[in-house]
Amino acid sequence: MSSYLIAVTTQIGIYGLLTLSLSLQYGYTGLINFGQVGFYAIGAYAAALLGTALGWGPWGSLAAAALFAAVAAVPIGLLTLRLREDYLAIVTLGFAEVVRLTIVAEDWLTNGTAGISGIARPFAALGVGIERDLAFLALILVALVLVAVGLGVIVRSPFGRIVKAIRDDEDAVRVLGKEPFVPRIKVLCLGAAIAGFAGGLQAQYIGYVGPDQFISYVTFIIWIAMIIGGTRSFLGAIVGAGVVLLFLEGSRFLRDELPDISETALASARLAIVGLALILTMLYRPGGLVGGKDAR
Amino acid sequence: MSHSQLYLNLAVNGLVEGLIIAMAALGITLVYAVAKFPNAATGDFMTFSAYTAKGASVLAGGSLVFGAGVAVLASALLAALAYLLIFRRLAGRKLVAPLVVSIGLAFLIRNTLTFFVGTDPTVLPVPIVRAVEVGGIFLQPLDLAVAAGAAISLAAAFIVLHKTPIGRRMRAVAGNADLARVSGIRAGRVMLQLWLLVGMLAAVAGVLLAAKSVIEPEMGWHLLLPAFAAAILGGVGSPIGALVGGVLIGLAQELSVPLVGSTYKAAVGFVVILVVLLVRPSGLLGRDRSVR
Repeated sequence: MSSYLIAVTTQIGIYGLLTLSLSLQYGYTGLINFGQVGFYAIGAYAAALLGTALGWGPWGSLAAAALFAAVAAVPIGLLTLRLREDYLAIVTLGFAEVVRLTIVAEDWLTNGTAGISGIARPFAALGVGIERDLAFLALILVALVLVAVGLGVIVRSPFGRIVKAIRDDEDAVRVLGKEPFVPRIKVLCLGAAIAGFAGGLQAQYIGYVGPDQFISYVTFIIWIAMIIGGTRSFLGAIVGAGVVLLFLEGSRFLRDELPDISETALASARLAIVGLALILTMLYRPGGLVGGKDAR
Repeated sequence: MSHSQLYLNLAVNGLVEGLIIAMAALGITLVYAVAKFPNAATGDFMTFSAYTAKGASVLAGGSLVFGAGVAVLASALLAALAYLLIFRRLAGRKLVAPLVVSIGLAFLIRNTLTFFVGTDPTVLPVPIVRAVEVGGIFLQPLDLAVAAGAAISLAAAFIVLHKTPIGRRMRAVAGNADLARVSGIRAGRVMLQLWLLVGMLAAVAGVLLAAKSVIEPEMGWHLLLPAFAAAILGGVGSPIGALVGGVLIGLAQELSVPLVGSTYKAAVGFVVILVVLLVRPSGLLGRDRSVR
């Protein structure tokens, strides 16, 4: 397996985790989270800071990444989940931007735009080479499977049935004596934890974090991956992440075919296509290309 | 410069920016009231207009008026096309559909622009005039022109909304679409007029923002959060609330700079949203439709 293939699969695994978390929040619970990149960033910076400044081990840093992101979701949930659904969308969009601004501004903690480097990975004993990359990829894939299976168990549990009932008709749930607020906030925090965990993995994989990695673009890549995969399928979420990342990666090879087009123009074309794909799938295949059976 | 003079100058600047934010917020609140979703492409309509104004004025040998006129027409057309080709087909779908699509549209507009013109910042060919001092306040003639342009456009929009049959029909559809249809109002035509108006508002806001600062691909996207904040602060669906909210957000952003530094200026809108949701989710002038 070439190192390039390992790198692409690793990215697909990390985005797969992010897409799973959005699928739980939006697909199964109806929470419109436009700030996934904010929780991802908090996880990445938590793992980076604990791993470098405080000298924590990589495993502890990963656990803390999930925890920090989950805790950050609590106040957002408290404030918005009793209100109209689009308020969560706008607040999370703003939240992600403020997380990025804070990373830039508080350079005593985050080293500002220069970022933090030298973040250690697990499996240090394997040295620096393809074995260690493979071991890290294996870790990500195991995590991906565990999260997908775990979420599958959760959505089929009594809790999961309440969550889906809230999504479909919250008034009916209220009439039956269940308060929708508590399950909603639990889902928001669980999804944030998964995104934070993915952020921790990304920080350790690259070995570096900087504010430029955490722009709103990431959130919408996750949204398009979820929609393409079918919003209510965890397997679809992983497939969607794979399709979108393979497109983004694959279009880099066009570079050699189109020497007249600048790097900036090619990057713009990629993102314009992502935007167009988002519009077209919502118009014509709202249930996703893979799933298909989605209530409008 | 004394302390109070510093704050006065910041307040003047905040007022001018606030009027631009108010125009974007008015566009957001109108679409929300009539088409029932928060339009995240509002900022990128502005960016499109700014680049169009630049391109057209260069083609016309530097005529700003010509550039602005072309930008207003082109943006109105873009907004009308967005309605006819996209948002019209999403009528009756859950709120998330048009919301997500508006973000896709924002990406599409912004990156189509950068595909053709690149990402380097540029400026409108505005004449540079020395600031005049009035009682310790330094007034830029350009700022005065921008404020005047915003005020005239806002006044025109309010006249359309409150003094013409177009506005009356829009409010009828906003209040109760079924009742409006039964009364013989053609909803499709009202929607088209709404999007034309919203496109023109965003166009003027984009040109004014471009005249005041620089033209760059993210200029409109960065204005989206303050504009959402202004719409929520004023009360979603309330046009006069959008105006009040926009001016207050503009003032708060500028006056926050000595306290928290310029990086966090962009976070002011977010903080305002949080406070409004905590204290009065319906906003200053909105009716309470905020609770699930």
